[in-house]
Amino acid sequence: MTTPATPATTATATAAAPVPPAAVHPRPVGRGRVATAYRWEVTKLAAQARTRATLAVCLLAPFVFVVLLDRQDRLPKDTLYGRWVHASGFATPLLILGFAAQWVFPLLTSLVAGDIFASEDQHGTWKTILTRSHSRSQIFWAKTLAAATFTTAVLTVLALSCLTAGVLLVGHQPLESLSGTLLPPGRAAGLVLAAWATALPPLLGFTALGIMLSVLTRSSPAGIVGPIILGLLMQLYAFLNGADTIRHLLLVTPFDAWHGLLAAHPYYGPLRDGTFVSVGYLVLCLAVAYTALRRRDITGG
Amino acid sequence: MTVAVPAVEASGLVKRFGARTAVDRVDLRVDVGEVYGILGPNGAGKTTFLRMLFGLIRPDAGTLRVFGRTWGEAGPRMLDGVAGFIESPRFYPYLSGRRNLNLLAGLDGGGAGSRIDAVLDVVDLAGRADDKVGGYSFGMRQRLGVAASLLRDPRLLVLDEPANGLDPAGIRDMRALVRRLAAGGLTVLLSSHNMDEVEEICDNVTIMRTGRVVYHGSIDQLRAQAPDPSHRLLTSDDAQALRLGGDHPAVSVSAHPDGGLVLRAQPADADAYILALGQAGVAVRALHLEVAPLESLFFMLTETDPAAGHDVPAQAQPDALTGAAS
Ligand SMILES: Nc1ncnc2c1ncn2[C@@H]1O[C@H](COP(=O)(O)OP(=O)(O)OP(=O)(O)O)[C@@H](O)[C@H]1O
Ligand SMILES: [Mg+2]
Repeated sequence: MTTPATPATTATATAAAPVPPAAVHPRPVGRGRVATAYRWEVTKLAAQARTRATLAVCLLAPFVFVVLLDRQDRLPKDTLYGRWVHASGFATPLLILGFAAQWVFPLLTSLVAGDIFASEDQHGTWKTILTRSHSRSQIFWAKTLAAATFTTAVLTVLALSCLTAGVLLVGHQPLESLSGTLLPPGRAAGLVLAAWATALPPLLGFTALGIMLSVLTRSSPAGIVGPIILGLLMQLYAFLNGADTIRHLLLVTPFDAWHGLLAAHPYYGPLRDGTFVSVGYLVLCLAVAYTALRRRDITGG
Repeated sequence: MTVAVPAVEASGLVKRFGARTAVDRVDLRVDVGEVYGILGPNGAGKTTFLRMLFGLIRPDAGTLRVFGRTWGEAGPRMLDGVAGFIESPRFYPYLSGRRNLNLLAGLDGGGAGSRIDAVLDVVDLAGRADDKVGGYSFGMRQRLGVAASLLRDPRLLVLDEPANGLDPAGIRDMRALVRRLAAGGLTVLLSSHNMDEVEEICDNVTIMRTGRVVYHGSIDQLRAQAPDPSHRLLTSDDAQALRLGGDHPAVSVSAHPDGGLVLRAQPADADAYILALGQAGVAVRALHLEVAPLESLFFMLTETDPAAGHDVPAQAQPDALTGAAS
């Protein structure tokens, strides 16, 4: 007996249009499959209301924040750049940056990272995906890349929106550096964006943390809330002035690395250390998640 | 004459979950072009076997080849040309049926995207394709599962209890669909706990119980093994009917626990006996089939004491592995 050459669908759906045989289109291999799976995951994310809502909030919230702040007499002086929010529009994005590091950043990333693996458990769809010629590693990297894409998108949208809100609603007055010197608008804008960019490494660290919890617990709530709680605990530890060596190893410490950029004589030590720490978290969490996913028996669903 | 590579070839396949052996040294061969059934009661290991076929779980021992390739050699490419679903098919409930198929087509690559409308037609879901899957009935999801499988333009279709949970019309349609697909040249491997279903659509069958193969061979061979059909017989004079049964060695007549009689015989022998009853003045008030022959064989094979193990007649295990591969 030989392999039937007719596609099953044409043989049965006589009324349907002729179905092109698959052999004409060679299926992608290796890295190509990670790319197809990545596109698949991004399409899926884009179709989710939660993803779109998060991006919309990142886009609009800074404007609301500035308007509300404008109506207040008391300034958030406790937070860095809080006292200057009415003096320069460039202070707004820095104030929000300092504030977001506390729990907003972990929340924003884990909304996707903490759910992207566990949602397949929740819907019982692992078997649907894995029966379609894709390996677990291909799916793993596709999902990880998609989560990292979302993190980067959230950070970019939020940064640009904060900067725009500040400049449009407060103005582009010169910004005072942390050493008290005045920075001209162009330089201030560049430094603000650079400061926001320094949040990317720890944010990717939190993304990996969310992914790991999502894979290990197979539960979206744990994957989403876990990183936020861990982030808060780290903040608390740092706040209580825990041992310095440990403080350096916390994933929230790199969120402060931008202070060095805003000094009259910039220093980059914390940025370098923070990046190392973030990469450490990233590698460790992804390695654990990858191993767990590879070994797992897919029996649910 | 060349020997075609079998679609599926398992030998000595074992899967344990803790102390329980879900699949125990299973050998099985599905040739290209046939419709093959894995039959067994709940917990027999059917789903576990199919999960191994799809690489969702790894066997503890034995080998499994799909179109000649093992998982170790080919990785997920072993599944090229294979499609199907395990237990009930699952989709993203927040997306429509069509969007789900679109996503899966994106994963499949090739020309899968252009087949979406055609496969929706095949399973008769075109009208509801734009509704969210979350609002689908069980049967619709089952059909969407078949559509999603056909999207891959498979050479081998693997269906785990495809008629499970369907209403009688749904079962009829699903069986008709599988027969049509098979007639189109598709190789089909399906699991079932229903002898009727397997008899109706399969060429060959493996019967499992608690992880072990207790029979494999063709449906025709199975029919030949089957005991006589068993009927419930109500007459105007059961005592007389019982006595007359003694004169007919080809039939077995006994008292039914719920009243009346049990008649076990091949149709021709039963005819002769019934005619004899009439001639003797015993009226037949009712005669109906209680257990279909294959079904009673199925119960015999799957409900005997596992300790006894091989109380299955030896000839009931004709070796399908030596069967016709032309
Ligand atoms: N993930 C698991 N962990 C532990 N035991 C399992 C697991 N999956 C299956 N089993 C056991 O393996 C045996 C075979 O189960 P399987 O699901 O393969 O049966 P089945 O033939 O598909 O039954 P059904 O007709 O009910 O679908 C059962 O005893 C079951 O309890
Ligand atoms: Mg099952």
